[in-house]
Formats: sequence, C-alpha cells, structure tokens
Amino acid sequence: MLAHLHQAVSATLTFGNLISLTFGTLVGIVVGVLPGLGPMVGMVVLLPFTFALQPDVALSLLLGVFCGGYFGGAVPAILMRTPGVPSSLITSFDGFPLTQKGQAQTALSAALVGSFGGGIISVIVLMFLAPLLAHVAASFGPPEYFGAGLFGVTLVVMAYRDRLAQGLLLLGLGLWISTVGIDGPTLVPRFCFGTLAMQNGLHLIPVCLGLFGIGQALVLVERKILLNESMSLTRRTLDFSKILGALRYWKSLLKSGLIGTFVGLLPGTGSILASFLSYETVKRTSKHPEDFGKGTPEGCLASEAGNNAVPAGAMIPLLTLGIPGDAVSAVLLGVFTINGIYPGPLLLVKEPVLINTLYLSMFLINVVAFIMLALWLRPFAMIVRLPNTLLAAVIMVLSLVGIYAVNTRLFDAGVAVAMGALGYILLRLEWPIVNLVMGVVLGDILEERLRESLSISGGNPMIFLQRPISLFLIIMTALIVIVPLLHDWRKRVRGAG
Amino acid sequence: MAGHINPESRSHDLFTVVLGAFAAGVLISSPWQVDTSGPYPFYKGALIFPLLALGLMVLASIPSALRMLNPPEGTFWRIDGEGVPSKTLLVFLLLVAFLAGLPVLGLEISSILFLGITLYYLGHRSPKVFIFIPLILTGVNYILFKYLLDVYFPPPLLYGFFGG
Repeated sequence: MLAHLHQAVSATLTFGNLISLTFGTLVGIVVGVLPGLGPMVGMVVLLPFTFALQPDVALSLLLGVFCGGYFGGAVPAILMRTPGVPSSLITSFDGFPLTQKGQAQTALSAALVGSFGGGIISVIVLMFLAPLLAHVAASFGPPEYFGAGLFGVTLVVMAYRDRLAQGLLLLGLGLWISTVGIDGPTLVPRFCFGTLAMQNGLHLIPVCLGLFGIGQALVLVERKILLNESMSLTRRTLDFSKILGALRYWKSLLKSGLIGTFVGLLPGTGSILASFLSYETVKRTSKHPEDFGKGTPEGCLASEAGNNAVPAGAMIPLLTLGIPGDAVSAVLLGVFTINGIYPGPLLLVKEPVLINTLYLSMFLINVVAFIMLALWLRPFAMIVRLPNTLLAAVIMVLSLVGIYAVNTRLFDAGVAVAMGALGYILLRLEWPIVNLVMGVVLGDILEERLRESLSISGGNPMIFLQRPISLFLIIMTALIVIVPLLHDWRKRVRGAG
Repeated sequence: MAGHINPESRSHDLFTVVLGAFAAGVLISSPWQVDTSGPYPFYKGALIFPLLALGLMVLASIPSALRMLNPPEGTFWRIDGEGVPSKTLLVFLLLVAFLAGLPVLGLEISSILFLGITLYYLGHRSPKVFIFIPLILTGVNYILFKYLLDVYFPPPLLYGFFGG
C-alpha cells in the first residue's frame, strides 16, 4: 500500500506530469472563462495530443481541463453575469450583485475558495468511496454490469425527460454508432456499407471532437455569446484578506462539497444540479437566507463548491464500474481504453499506482487552478474579449488536424466534420447531445454484457431478474422511469382539472 | 445572446423524423448489412444489439412522425428566430474544402488558406488577423504535429503533379 503510494507520489511529481496538469489546468481555465466553450471543448481539442503521452500524464492533462473549466466558469459569471460554464449561472445570482456593489473581489474570492474546497472535498470522498464501491462491484457478473449500464443510460435519458423522444433517439443513434465496424466476437463487418474505411468503426474520439469541438465552433460563428463589457477589476491579483474572509463559511463549503460529489456520482445529473442543490441547501440553512440573490459571498461559495465537486464525483462510477456519468467522463473512459486500461472493480487492484497518481494529480490540479486564478485574475478575465469568430476558426483547424494525427486517417477527419454538422444542428435545437455520446461509449459495454448474459442463460432474458443485484438495478431503472413520468402525468391532470 | 429556442417548433419533429427514417432504412437493410450466417444462435450474434438500438430510434420518432402528418394548430417552423445560418453554412463548406485540400495542397497551404479566407469572411479585415494568425497557427501546427509528434502527412498531390 505504502509502496504504491510512494510510487504514485513519484509519478505525480515527475516533470512531465506536472507540466501536463499545469497546462491542462491553464487550458481549462481559459475555456471555462470563455462563455460558449467549456471544459468539454478544451478536452476534445487536446485529446489527439494525449496519444503520445503516458496514460497517467494524459489523464492529468484532461483532468486539468475538466477541473480548471469549472474554476474559470465563475469569473465571467461574477463580472458580467455571463456564465462561462452552465453551472456557473447559479454563481451569478449573488456574484453579479456583489460586482455591482463594487465587491467583485469578495465574490471572486468566495467563488475561488468554494471551487478549491469543493474540489478537495470531492477528491477525499473519491479516495474513500471508490474502494468500497469497487469491493461491491467485484461480485458483478455480465448481468449486473448490463443492469448498471442500463441504469446509467436511463438516468441520463430521464435527466432530459422534457425531451424524452429526442433523448431516446440520440441514445439509440449512439448505441448504433458503437456497432459500426468489425464485430469483435464474430469478426463479421457490420453496417460498413461496402467500404473498407468503415470496418474500423466510428471511434469515440472523432465523434466527440466533431460533436463538441467543430459543432460548438460552428455555433460560435453566428451567435454573439460573448459580452465585451468593461469589467470592474481594480487589482491584477486576488486580495488575500478576502480569500481568508471567505473561509468563515467553512460549514457551507463542507456541505456543498459533499452534495456536489454525490450529485456527480449519479450519471446524467450534471453540474448545474450540483450547483443548484448546494446553493439551495446552504440558503435554507443559512442565518441570513434573505441575502441570497442580492449578493452574498456565501452563495458564490456554495454554488462553486457544488459544481467543482462534480469531476471527482463522476470519477467514482467511472473507475469502479467503468460507467461514465457524463460526456466528459466518457472522454476520459476513451483515454483509459485506448491505453489498454479497462476501468472496473479490478482497476483499483490491478493499477494501484495509476489510481493513486490520479488522486494526487486531482489534488494538485485544484491547488494549481487556485494559485493561477488568484495570481492572474485580471489576465484571465480579459480573455473574454477574444472574438468568438477567431476562436471558432482556430478550434476547427486544431480539431481537424488533431483528429487526423491520431490515426493518420483522413476518414476520421471526415467523420469529425460530419459529426460537427450533426453537433451544430443538435446544439442549435438544444437536444441532449450527452445521450448520443453516452450511447457511443456505453454501446460496447452494454452489447458485450448483454450477449454474455444471454450466452450464460442459453438465450433466456430472465437471467436479469434471477440475480439479486441485477434485479435490484432493473427495479431501480424501472422506478426512475415510472416515478417521474407518473409525477408529470399527475401534474398535467391537475393542471387540466 | 441566442434567441429563445422554441420546443414547439416543427423543426424538432422534422429532424426527429429524418433520423427515424434513417434508422428505419438501416433496420430494414440490416440483414444485408450484417452477416448472420455464423454458427452462433441469434442471441449471441452480431445483429441483436443493432436491432435493439435501431428499434429504439424508430420507436422514439413515431410521435414526431404522427405530429408531422397531423400538425397541432399554431405550430411553426421557426427555431429561435435567428434566421437561416448562411454564415455558418459557408464556413462549414470552407471546412469541407479544407479537409479535401489536405491531401491535395498539404497541411500548410490548406491551413493558411482556410484560416485566412474564413477570418476575412467573418469580418476580420485587419491584415494582422487574417494574414498573421493563419501563419502563426500553421507554424504551431507544423511544429507540434510534424516536428514534435512526428505525425506523417502524405506529400501533397499537387507537388507530385508539378514534380512529374
């Protein structure tokens, strides 16, 4: 155990890893500060570069972007009421009123302390909870994995139940995309339409890069998302006394960090819910709930602690079950599998050094992001002045050249362009793209486990109801479908009455 | 800020039906797209999962198909009031041309051309932007991909043509 930890410390503190996590965090903060981009775009643009790196270094780079994005998102939310990432919208409820009162430093300090605290709390929970969950998951067979996967995708679909038909459609499309190419067990080509290039399949990387990188860049071409208002920042750095002042809300910080971690753990719930639940809980238990919404640092702190706890929370099902909770973790799963590492209960036993390196890197990322924003607050805030059309063109070139570089196949770049067009339409229509990505990622897992389960049972689907854990997961899946739909139906009936 | 997306727009139904029709087409043609003559029983085979996925897509598109046939009163095609995305369409076509130009013109020339034309078209008329940014980014790409990552880019077809 100690030997593993010692090796992990050494791996974390290597020059390559430190550079990687610092650069990732820097990119994360930049894409977080820029409204309309967010950590996903940053991650997919950097994704092609990770193939030349060691798995731990590659993961540090992408985790840096993931966590850094949430740190950066609060800056424009507080200064301009324009959230850099969607979950920072909640931060703007109190952050912008504080800026209007001339207390931008107070709001930014509280948000930064919240982000840092939420991040650290969630990594600690991850370190303790992951082995426990992995222990439970060690008894999983194919039916249980299938049940867990089904539960995950159902949660994601139901999270967007106001667009249920579209959500199911995109999930189905994602699941189908995952089947294109040579089928592993039978070695027969599927849906290749007579082309050789399709036999390699439609990989997650060009699909994600197209949907999120090129798709979002095409959206940026026409939409004036960025506001170039003057910003009231008198200092280049954050005021240290204000940072210390925010620490008096330590109880709220603890509460929000824990809420964010557990929300992040559930697939499909997302960081907006984490921010909102943390904010509401802290507001309800605060001595001054009347100040919320009018400009209290406690509100900024709660919201940011909630959303910054999500990345580590989302890592729990990813590492222990191999099931990503959102699109960003799905990309991380792609990095694991491309490097021949398959997340699941045995990962913690087989790759203890990698896992410990990952935990330590996440700690460091939070520290680095905190220091970067505290020291270079104004330069980061000024990034919002970059014209979105310039960003769009640069993202498109980087995405296309990057995706070509992964396998030196123009076909992958073509897939990314086609997915970019699809991504643009879906973003424009505001359909839940995450369902499509979850389908692509979980398609392989679900298909493999379904076929294994049916092989074990001789083709009898009752196997899923005959094993206790699988039965429990199927019941839970049924409940998360039935209960909200019943609730919606009752509301409609009452409304009509 | 973007206009408000209208969830009642018929464009949602239209796109749902397009995807549903695509799924139905693939579903019908799937016995020809997947070889099922293997020794395995069906439940172990390569077709069961794609059929489930495509079936899900077709089922999900049925309500929209019905609404397309019999649209409720007062519905419209407008999505968010931002009009036809002509600018985006042109940039997308430039992107396709950039992709097609990669094997013909090579990474450097196609990158410079794409970035220069796109930035100029999108309103960046200062030579500092539409000339220097393409040159800088192409330089960065060259160093990063060709020099540091040692990625193989095929020699441009155009050079071969002129070089005989």
